[in-house]
Amino acid sequence: MKKTIFLSLIIVLSFVACNEKNDVDTQKPQIDMTIDGASPLNCQTIYYGEPFKFKALFKDNDALGSYSIGLHNNFDNHSHTTEINECAHDAIKDAVNPFIFSKEYMIDKDKKESLVEFEMCFDKGNDKGNFDDGDYHFFISLTDKNGWSQKKGLSIKLLHR
Amino acid sequence: MNRIFMLFMSINLFVSSLYAQDISSLSGRVIDKQNKPLIGACLLLTPSDKGAITDADGRFNITNIKKGKYALEVSFVGYEQQTKQIYIDKKISLEVQMKQQILCLHEVVVTYEHSKKREREESLNIEIINKDFLKQNIGGSLMKSIERLPGISTIDVGSGQSKPMIRGMSFNRVVVLENGVKHEGQQWGADHGLEIDQFAVNCLEVIKGPASLRYGSDAVGGVVNIENYKYCADNTFGGEVNLTTKTNNALYGGSLSLYGRKKWFYFDARMTWLDYGDYCVPTDSVSVYSFKIPLHKRRLRNTAGNEKDFRVTLGYIGDKFTDKFFVSSINSEAGFFANAHGIEPVNVDDDVYDASRRDILEPKQKVNHLKILNHAKWEIDNLSLVSDLGFQRNLRQEHSPYVSHGYMPPLFPENLGYEENLERLFDKYVSSANFYADLKCGEKLFLSSGVNFEYQKNNIDGRDFMIPSFWQVTLGVYFIGRYVLDEHNSFQAGLRYDYGKIHTDDYYDWFPSIDETTNTEVYLQRSEELNREFSNLSWSLGYNYFVDKLSLKANLGKSFRMPIAKELSANGINYHHFSYEVGDKNLSPEVSYQLDLGIDFLTEKFGVGISPFINYFTNYIYLNPTSEHDSQYGNGNQIFEYKESEVLRYGGEFYAKYMVLPTLECGVVGEFVYSEQMTGDKKGFSLPFSPPASLLFNAKYKRHLCSLIRNFYVQVDYRLTASQKNIVPPEEITDGYQTFNIGLGCDFEFNKQTINLSMMLQNVLDTKYFNHTSFYRLINVPEAGRNFVVNLLIPFKIKK
Repeated sequence: MKKTIFLSLIIVLSFVACNEKNDVDTQKPQIDMTIDGASPLNCQTIYYGEPFKFKALFKDNDALGSYSIGLHNNFDNHSHTTEINECAHDAIKDAVNPFIFSKEYMIDKDKKESLVEFEMCFDKGNDKGNFDDGDYHFFISLTDKNGWSQKKGLSIKLLHR
Repeated sequence: MNRIFMLFMSINLFVSSLYAQDISSLSGRVIDKQNKPLIGACLLLTPSDKGAITDADGRFNITNIKKGKYALEVSFVGYEQQTKQIYIDKKISLEVQMKQQILCLHEVVVTYEHSKKREREESLNIEIINKDFLKQNIGGSLMKSIERLPGISTIDVGSGQSKPMIRGMSFNRVVVLENGVKHEGQQWGADHGLEIDQFAVNCLEVIKGPASLRYGSDAVGGVVNIENYKYCADNTFGGEVNLTTKTNNALYGGSLSLYGRKKWFYFDARMTWLDYGDYCVPTDSVSVYSFKIPLHKRRLRNTAGNEKDFRVTLGYIGDKFTDKFFVSSINSEAGFFANAHGIEPVNVDDDVYDASRRDILEPKQKVNHLKILNHAKWEIDNLSLVSDLGFQRNLRQEHSPYVSHGYMPPLFPENLGYEENLERLFDKYVSSANFYADLKCGEKLFLSSGVNFEYQKNNIDGRDFMIPSFWQVTLGVYFIGRYVLDEHNSFQAGLRYDYGKIHTDDYYDWFPSIDETTNTEVYLQRSEELNREFSNLSWSLGYNYFVDKLSLKANLGKSFRMPIAKELSANGINYHHFSYEVGDKNLSPEVSYQLDLGIDFLTEKFGVGISPFINYFTNYIYLNPTSEHDSQYGNGNQIFEYKESEVLRYGGEFYAKYMVLPTLECGVVGEFVYSEQMTGDKKGFSLPFSPPASLLFNAKYKRHLCSLIRNFYVQVDYRLTASQKNIVPPEEITDGYQTFNIGLGCDFEFNKQTINLSMMLQNVLDTKYFNHTSFYRLINVPEAGRNFVVNLLIPFKIKK
């Protein structure tokens, strides 16, 4: 009697445990910054007013969605990176006129792979004067069509030259 | 105990019949208020040593009694003891009507009879637990302590905050009632716990399934019904001291209660104080969205907290009228895991955060919950009338250092009217009034009807926006009829009408953003003024069948839930998992149909039961992760939108238990839920926070060791949880796991004082595992490691 119960329990449990769906997407997209010429890289210095290249390879098993690039100051060293190598940070300081950037970019529909390469250039300042030099955090977020997301955080320096 | 007593009594009867000389006798019946026979009631005739136990018809017969004056004591578990002065000569026949005892739960736990009766009347599946269960299974919070029940899990943040989850339904889909009034906090937030003092709970009942009919719109997933009133015998004054400690988060705490009764008046007061440090996880570092965060001494940085609770009940017990007036104040403060709060995982100054385990630094939450309730009950013949009036204020403050993001100015401006570090504040005022009438029409028909009214006003403050200020009114009227066909069959049917109105305020940013098209500064509108009205007719049909050891239940019902302010008007960053949440003002109220079944077979030694359900939502409201990003407020956080889709869910629980020996019981409990979205963006996906299937094996050994050590028990729980592969973004597949808990306890005598000791070793093997329904699962934080809990309960009597 007890054995029967135990056996049936195991059967129920294994049924339950195996009852997974195979037809839905359960994979996150990927941000590949190991490709040749990927940019920016962790610890890189970017200069205000000078163009630099953004290059990354985005991949997904199903279909890519969109990506966003965000930059904000890291003067208090609050941000860290997803990279293994940490960079040398400047001393902690208060922001006066920090540079802020946040933009969403669409990826063509139903693409499984997208090599993104374009030039970016940040203004030297605004009506309040020059933007602050120092440590910034370069944040990339990528989604796929189903709402899975992948994040990459890079430490960079933004300076005037 | 009862059996020994019975044996003793029958031997007594036998012996006395042999030697008796006079011929007087006493016979009769013991019945309850409904004139139903009470089986197994004890009768004792003093000064003789004669007694009897009632038979299956409630009858008794005591023969061979000497003529004279006697006192007849009649007792039955769960009923008030009665003493009758009688003069016996010749044959006396007598009927004793017993009154159900208002339970004094710190002494007499909820009796088997009471919970049995309740289970028979309810066609939904319910679980009833008492204070002993809570003592023996004490967790970090009340909900964590009842997680052991089949079909119940919790949504947690940290070691002290959790919310109930019934068969995968949580947040605003589960109603928590405290003393008859719906508990209203900020249920919508995953990081918000339940403001209830677990030491003050006397009895707790969980209704699994849609109980909207009686408890209103939010009870679509179930109800947790908590009672903490305590009644005592006349002229009793006493109290209890509870002392508790836990090793995992270095918790120390205590609770002191005092109670007393003089004739019709009684009081019950309690004070609870808890203080705990950061809790430990069995890992040296956690990886939050690929950001690696090392942990100092395996402690989850800044998860310390404290709780200070007060409550007083004043009551009047009359013959036909009872009244209870209840005031409570729950105050807690707890830190959030410091590295995982904000717009992205962050570095913190480890020297500051790791300097002390017990300090609560920012980010942190502070919650004050004030509750004033009055429960009045009149009993007039077959009619009973109940009024529950309540007032609550829930003040919730979240603090964190100001970090400018989006277009926020780098330095926080002065004179905004609140301090710089106030991230969010919610101040909710709730007034509620419930009236019920229960009418017994003859022996077969029971009617009940009620009105529920609630008014909520929620004000917001602070520098960050998530939901707007709002007010809402809900009104519901219901009728339920129960018809007892015969002693085996009964039917239930009910109808409910609900009306609700919600108003949300508009909200504009306090800082200007740059409009990219015009390149000008604008104060963006985050939410618009909104007025929505909802109404609905819900119904339910139930059937109960009982025969001897077998019971069957079936319930079919339609229930609904009004969308809440967050679902309609959210527009802000969720700082706990770095997403941007957006509401939809056009959402319709959720409608759900559910069929519940329950089959139980119980003998004295063996019990087995299964309770399957199937549930269909025409439109389930959930937070859908989109492929888009917000570029206005953070650094490009992913946007999550409230959407609705058709959802099919099914599952159930089962149990089997067997008394291997009179002192040893073994059992197994299993639970399983499957959900699938049938339409919408996430067609084919599951629902967020779906609990994985699990089995809990339990063995409990209990006996009286000696007169000094009573009620000794040792129990072992072995939980086997399957992996959860049915996930929806942003969740990750959670592996299965096994955990062991060992419990041990007894009542012992020390200096003539009884002390109750319960100890528990949780996660014995210090296993590193993830709980799919924990909020911290999303950021890869494993569950707490090994924990040793000691709880001492010292009851005392000042006067009896």
